Amino acid sequence: MSVSVLLVEDDEVIRRSVGMALERYGYRVASAADGLTGLERFRSGGHDLLLLDVMLPGLDGIGLCRRVRETSLVPILMMSARGDALDVVSGLEAGADDYVVKPADTSVLVARIRALLRRATPAPGTPRLVFGDLTVDPEALEVYVAGERISLAPTELRLLLEFAANPGIVLDRQTLLRDVWDYGWDGDSRVVDLCVQRLRRKIGADRVETVRGFGYKLRR
Amino acid sequence: MSPWRSLRWQIAALVAVASGVVALAVGLLVHRSTFDRSLNLGRDRALTALMADPADPGPLPAALAAQIGGPDTYVTWYDDRDPDVPWMWAATTAKAVRIDMGGELRNLRALDRHIVLASLGVLGLVVPLAALAAELPNHRLRRVARTARRVADGDLEARTSAGRGGDEITGIAAAVDTMAAALHDRLRTEQRFTADVAHELRTPLTGLVTSAELLPEGEATDLVRDRVRVLRTLVENLLEISRLDAGAESADRVEVPLGRFAGDCVHRTGLAAEVTVHGDPIAVTDPRRLDRILANLVVNAHRHGRAPVEVRVAGTTITVRDHGPGFPASLLAEGPRRFRTGASERGRGHGLGLTIAAGQARVIGARLGFANAPEGGAVATVRLN
Repeated sequence: MSVSVLLVEDDEVIRRSVGMALERYGYRVASAADGLTGLERFRSGGHDLLLLDVMLPGLDGIGLCRRVRETSLVPILMMSARGDALDVVSGLEAGADDYVVKPADTSVLVARIRALLRRATPAPGTPRLVFGDLTVDPEALEVYVAGERISLAPTELRLLLEFAANPGIVLDRQTLLRDVWDYGWDGDSRVVDLCVQRLRRKIGADRVETVRGFGYKLRR
Repeated sequence: MSPWRSLRWQIAALVAVASGVVALAVGLLVHRSTFDRSLNLGRDRALTALMADPADPGPLPAALAAQIGGPDTYVTWYDDRDPDVPWMWAATTAKAVRIDMGGELRNLRALDRHIVLASLGVLGLVVPLAALAAELPNHRLRRVARTARRVADGDLEARTSAGRGGDEITGIAAAVDTMAAALHDRLRTEQRFTADVAHELRTPLTGLVTSAELLPEGEATDLVRDRVRVLRTLVENLLEISRLDAGAESADRVEVPLGRFAGDCVHRTGLAAEVTVHGDPIAVTDPRRLDRILANLVVNAHRHGRAPVEVRVAGTTITVRDHGPGFPASLLAEGPRRFRTGASERGRGHGLGLTIAAGQARVIGARLGFANAPEGGAVATVRLN
């Protein structure tokens, strides 16, 4: 069963060409030309990843992202037409996992999609990790706060597993970009900052500590 | 500028000279008329004495004797043969008298002294006052000059805020402000145009990039893809410049080992450059922006200069040198300008690479300098702090 990508993009040429390119790479592609249609298609189910343009008629990409995140943890990749700081930040705050700036090569797009779809695969037999009231089960990919199970988006979960594997050690943004997002060297570190913010909202703000000028660490 | 050539002292000197000339003229007139009056009085006194009681003053001086024409002619003569002991002579045929004019002379000399002292006193008061009064316009002029220099250095928001006044200084200040505003407008228009063009091109270009990748392999496809790549680089450069223009960029600093970083950066450009590193320098800077700077300098050196291209890392200073014709004079004087490559011998280009390098250098607080080596070739220097 191939991976299904829902592409929401208003420009017809981009929608068709990106769709055809992804199909060549073996993805199944469903597409929508505006935000509301996109939301409808998504709710009809069966998509493994959302590829969204920021500027969309009707419901825009950021609004769509927020609506999807209310019910689903599916990976979301934004395509920013402008690469403006504001677009990127609002997209990531709304719950997107990563973004690409248009025009992007298909190879880059596919690499980002693969990185987002890559499941966290820890070594088998890893014991449960306990940090105060936070419990991480790397095998079952489950996270509990004060005994209650919480749901994390795939990127958030991978970020937490990275922290959990190095408790108390400061991880700088470049390392996190490389290990969690698969970026070579030139990733945008705001992706890390905003994902850490989302993770903090779910597992408690003081669990992940900011080390100014360096990066983040998980409090033991 | 020497402080003694400042407008303040020029005005003070002018006031001093003018006051001096006035004092001299008034002094001379007063001296002259006082002297004339004392001569008249002396003549009257001498003639009265001649009528009353002519004593024999001894031999007449030759100048006086020559004046006596005949009987009933009365003559007078001011005798200053000894300048300190003047006399007034009155004479007629066979009669003569002389009276002492020493008192008048002393009075006149005292008057002269008073005039000189009073003039000096007034000068002593007026010159500092003039210097002080000149400080006010001077201060305003200096502010205008400062503002003009700031505008020249690129701060187009600088204004003289000259206020009201309606004099020539307000006029020149207003002219400088108008000039700065006009420059600002032009720059804004240029920046808006760059941003608009880049944004408008982006959507069709995105479709073009992905569509070109879908074409079947072949020679024609390679040609199309090559041109799409060039077009894409151009649009991305324009977008980068418009982001830098907007001034919303900020540096994301980490510790960067410069030696290895420069080597990697040159490697990523895919161009040949000889990298030499002195020591093991480490800088705290934004690696992505530094990479953009170095890559643009190396690409520029290859495109507009000639191999070998040398990248030298010494401390936190990185120099990129080529062996071509060197930077054109306009670039050395004004810095890089978009869509302007200056001399045609430096080949084709959009002038965007160096504009981006300069913009990114500003964001990371590095100084980017352009020069030509004495033995030929362009030298770009990045100083990180």
